[in-house]
Amino acid sequence: MPTSAEPSANGPAAGPAAALDLRDVALAYDRVPVVEGVTASILPGRGVALVGPNGAGKSTLLRAVLGLVEVVRGSIAVLGRSPAAARGEVAYVPQADVLDAEFPVSALQVVLMGRYRRIGWLRRPGRADRAAAAQALEQVGLAALARRRFGALSGGQRQRVLLARAIAQEARLLLLDEPFNGVDATSQELLLAALARLRAGGAAVLLSTHDLALAHLACDQACLLNHHQFGFGPVGATLTPELLRATYGGRALGLSGDDLILMRP
Amino acid sequence: MRLLLDPFAVPFMRRALAEALLLGVLGGAVGVAVVLRRLAFYGEVLSHTVFPGVVLAAILGWPLPLGALVFALLTAALVAPLGASRRVGADASLAIVMTAMFAVGVALVSLRSTFATDLTLLLFGRLLAVGAGEVLLTAAVGAAVLVTLGLLSKELVLRAFDPGGAAALGYRTVALDLVLNLCVALVVVVALEAVGTMLVLAFLVIPAVAARLVTERIATMTLVACALGALGGWLGLAASFQASVRYGLRVGSAAAVVAVLVACFLACLALAPVLRRVRARAAGGARAAAAGRAA
Repeated sequence: MPTSAEPSANGPAAGPAAALDLRDVALAYDRVPVVEGVTASILPGRGVALVGPNGAGKSTLLRAVLGLVEVVRGSIAVLGRSPAAARGEVAYVPQADVLDAEFPVSALQVVLMGRYRRIGWLRRPGRADRAAAAQALEQVGLAALARRRFGALSGGQRQRVLLARAIAQEARLLLLDEPFNGVDATSQELLLAALARLRAGGAAVLLSTHDLALAHLACDQACLLNHHQFGFGPVGATLTPELLRATYGGRALGLSGDDLILMRP
Repeated sequence: MRLLLDPFAVPFMRRALAEALLLGVLGGAVGVAVVLRRLAFYGEVLSHTVFPGVVLAAILGWPLPLGALVFALLTAALVAPLGASRRVGADASLAIVMTAMFAVGVALVSLRSTFATDLTLLLFGRLLAVGAGEVLLTAAVGAAVLVTLGLLSKELVLRAFDPGGAAALGYRTVALDLVLNLCVALVVVVALEAVGTMLVLAFLVIPAVAARLVTERIATMTLVACALGALGGWLGLAASFQASVRYGLRVGSAAAVVAVLVACFLACLALAPVLRRVRARAAGGARAAAAGRAA
């Protein structure tokens, strides 16, 4: 379909420079509709927080940007190309605790995995790859633990290793699935600093989170999602009590006249 | 030492040793991939699904490994895509393929009544009667499998560690699974006549699991697994030979090899917590040194 291959060519708001452009996207898993009506775009250097309750379709949306979920309506353009064609330019950062903590790989080996597509089939990582991996670990404050087994690190350190893997990939769009879940304060700060540096370097960031404070710190835009899109725009104008109530339904609770909003994930 | 070397003065014992060492090293190396991908059950399944192939080959008058190969490849090809379906799941797809194929084998056997001797061979092999041609075939197939896995090692490790990340990077995980499945199937088939399904499974799983207990790197894990596999083959053969020559005890060579492998596994199991404590202390020391430097 030529329309889905180059939808940003005549896009109104996004323009051709968008790192990610979603147009009225509907997604299905095993033909069960999961997400509908998502329209959003991310420019290089910008960060979008994907906010919504558990089971809202946030992870499905991230997987769709990787081209791993069927788009049943609308279109997704990554750097002006189809998601499958742009995979090399997109880094995906999973939650650290979905990975086997007993697996015998070192932190540095995990970071090197971000270079594998660049290295290509049948070849070993070279000097440049090792340097890039070491530098990526340095950026998340883990240079001293490069040789430690991945599973022997704390949850926050593992999350930083996975971000370092994305840094080593030198991607132009980063997708992060709940990167702050169960992460200690030090790791949180180092993750935020690394994300800010990546954005300053021109990378676009899309991350899912439950934490509104971290959404404000890590991103300048937000997208509210609970199967449908409930809002998209600057964080301040989007993460409002009214829109959060609409997104979370009965799972949101306003305290002291909506000055403070509590949501159940 | 003479106890362990004397048995191999006889030519048939030398051939048996060569085959056992080859399969020990091959099983150890391929076993690392099997264990990291949690495919031990797949190995068990393969050892059953080759059964109808062997029966069919016996009926048709083919060489037995050829029949086994056909069904092993069929298993490998069926399991990878079926297991990738989220609704079926990897373990259920293995169980379905295994029971279906085993049932075919049972049905074929019940057509004929003269299979009894051939079937014990399938289970235990005949390591002491292995020919020079079989040893060469094992070496050739083993080399091909090791080269394939070696060339794809970084992708296979990534797929085993982080399947979602591998797919996100654009790797076709089903294709990688298929390659590994085929390699394991080839190892099972080439080892079948010599050592039987029980010992090939032991070679594929026990050394690698034992090695994983005492190592933290895949490279060292592979070396240790190969060494343990070879050690099991050598010591097991020597033990069964000495038991029968010196004490008149007829201990099957395959059973003796499995016993040595299990002993190695138990030793590693006992050693693992000790090593872990030593490593933790070393890491703590390094941390303290780094803190001292910083201060």
